[in-house]
Amino acid sequence: MNTDNQNGKYVYCIVKAQDEQESFGNIGFQGKEVYTIKYKEFSPVVSDAIFKKYDIGDEEDIKTHTLVVNEVMKKYSVIPVAYGMVFKNKKLVEISMRSGHKAMRKAIKIVDNKVELGVKIILPKDFDGDMQKAEQCKSEFSKSLKQIAFDSKDLNLFSKRLIMNGSFLVEKDKIEAFSDEVERLTTKYDSFKVSYSGPWSPYNFVDIHILSQQRGGFR
Amino acid sequence: MLLIDDLILRALGITIPGLDLIYTLEIIKNLAYKELYNPEKVKSRIKENQMLYEFGEISRGEFEETKSSLMEQLKFTERFEEMNLSVRSDIFS
Repeated sequence: MNTDNQNGKYVYCIVKAQDEQESFGNIGFQGKEVYTIKYKEFSPVVSDAIFKKYDIGDEEDIKTHTLVVNEVMKKYSVIPVAYGMVFKNKKLVEISMRSGHKAMRKAIKIVDNKVELGVKIILPKDFDGDMQKAEQCKSEFSKSLKQIAFDSKDLNLFSKRLIMNGSFLVEKDKIEAFSDEVERLTTKYDSFKVSYSGPWSPYNFVDIHILSQQRGGFR
Repeated sequence: MLLIDDLILRALGITIPGLDLIYTLEIIKNLAYKELYNPEKVKSRIKENQMLYEFGEISRGEFEETKSSLMEQLKFTERFEEMNLSVRSDIFS
């Protein structure tokens, strides 16, 4: 019998190490305990899990991953790890931590005390209005929010109706100012639809690939 | 076995009108396949479907139905990409 499948460790995110192993409760996959493993000054947040492919179409699994990361974020700044990162055993997690140590030291400086917030603006259904106003809306949102944010990324406009898809890295003490500005601009440009989401762990600002197969490994 | 085909002839600077036409048609066919079976395009449609649901423009049922069909399409396009059908094989050697 192959015991590797039973010894898997699913990694949700990485935090700065604490003196003692910490438990976040039985909130992992299959109701397993989520806990930290210490590696130098970092701790991957893991749960025991079956070594298998985690499908991007599985809404429940994605929810579990997100829920755990959100729970950890209540207490710590996190280095995000891509959904689906399960390792055959603890030893392989440690090997990954060793090879990614330098990149993680850089990443923690970027994400420390910050969160990611997302803003999408879409044109109303069957929009037949003023494209100049749409451009002005996009431009003002982008300019004002970038002034408050620590960093920002323009993400892929995956739909013809999407005129802005921005991701913003915001210091925790500036979240309120950022939210107020989003609200002010949403009211000003009320003919457009705005989606404001977060806080997320900063997936778009950290890009570490370790032991990767295609997009695998830590990200 | 040395296979004399249009690629070798072209490398030698020899063009044959009939073969050139076939070659051009092959390129067009491959581009059309890439356009039709492009996983990135399907991923964009999955994101768009999610977005429309979040904005309340489609119901949960419509969202689920479209998502399920797009996920099938994504699996198919990824398989198609892995198969890389545009690669020539010398079946006579």
